[in-house]
Amino acid sequence: MKYILNILMMNTMKAGAGVPGWPKKDLQAHIAFMHNLNKELRESGEFVSAEGLSFPDQAKLVRAGKDGTLITDGIFPESKEFLAGYWIIDAATPERAYAVAGRISAAPGPGGTPLNMPVEVRPILSGPPPEML
Amino acid sequence: MKYILLMSGTKGGVDTYRAWSPKDIETHMAVLMSLNKELTESGEFVATQGLAGPAEAKVVRGQKNGMPVTDGIFPESKEFLLGYWIVDVATPERAYAIAGRISAAPGPGGVPTNMPIEVRQFASHGPKS
Repeated sequence: MKYILNILMMNTMKAGAGVPGWPKKDLQAHIAFMHNLNKELRESGEFVSAEGLSFPDQAKLVRAGKDGTLITDGIFPESKEFLAGYWIIDAATPERAYAVAGRISAAPGPGGTPLNMPVEVRPILSGPPPEML
Repeated sequence: MKYILLMSGTKGGVDTYRAWSPKDIETHMAVLMSLNKELTESGEFVATQGLAGPAEAKVVRGQKNGMPVTDGIFPESKEFLLGYWIVDVATPERAYAIAGRISAAPGPGGVPTNMPIEVRQFASHGPKS
C-alpha cells in the first residue's frame, strides 16, 4: 500500500532562512542522513518519490471566479501550516510507514540533535471507483 | 518547471463531499478526468493522487531511541491535504490557469466548487538522492 509522509511547517519559513541558515557541517549531516534513508528505501523497493517544495513566500492560492476569471492570493497568516516536502513510499503495513516517518522525524538538526519534527502519514487512495470513470 | 497544485480541506468538507449525490460526484470526476487527459496530451501531466481521509491520518514523531510515536486525533478545524496534481509547465501563469480549472470543477447541481488550490514550485535542491 502506498503512503505519503508529509512534512508540515508553520508559515515562518522564508527563502534563505531556516534549514539553509544552519552551519554547513550540520546541513551536510542532515542531507547525508536523508540521502542514506532514500538509498535504503530504494534498496528495499519501498521508495516511490520524494520532493521538497519552495517556501511559502512563493506560494499562491488560486480560485476560479464565477465568470471563469482567476483569483490569486499570496498572503498567508503566520499560523498557517505549509507542506514543506514529502515522501511517497510503498510499505507492507501502516506500522512500517510509521517507522519510516519516525526515521525522517529523527533526522539530525543543528549540532546533530534530532529535529523530532512531526511527519503526517496518510494512505494514498488507489483512485476513484471504476464506475465513475 | 514543476509545480504542485494542492487541494486542502477540513474533515467537515470531506463529510460534505461524501454526501453529494452519485450523479454530482460522477460529473465532478468526469471533469477532472478530462482535465488529466488534456494535460497528458499537452505533455504537462506528471502525477495526481487523492489521499485517504483525515480519519486515517497519523502524525509521527521519532523518539530518542528511534521508535516512532503516533498521534491520530486532530481538531475538526485542521486543514488536511486531500489530493494533489504535479504539472510541468512553462510559466507560473500556466500553473495558475490549471489550478483555476480544478477550482472550477462542478459540485452539487453543477455549480463550480471554487475550492482554493495552493500552487507551489518544487525546490530545485533538497534531500534527494
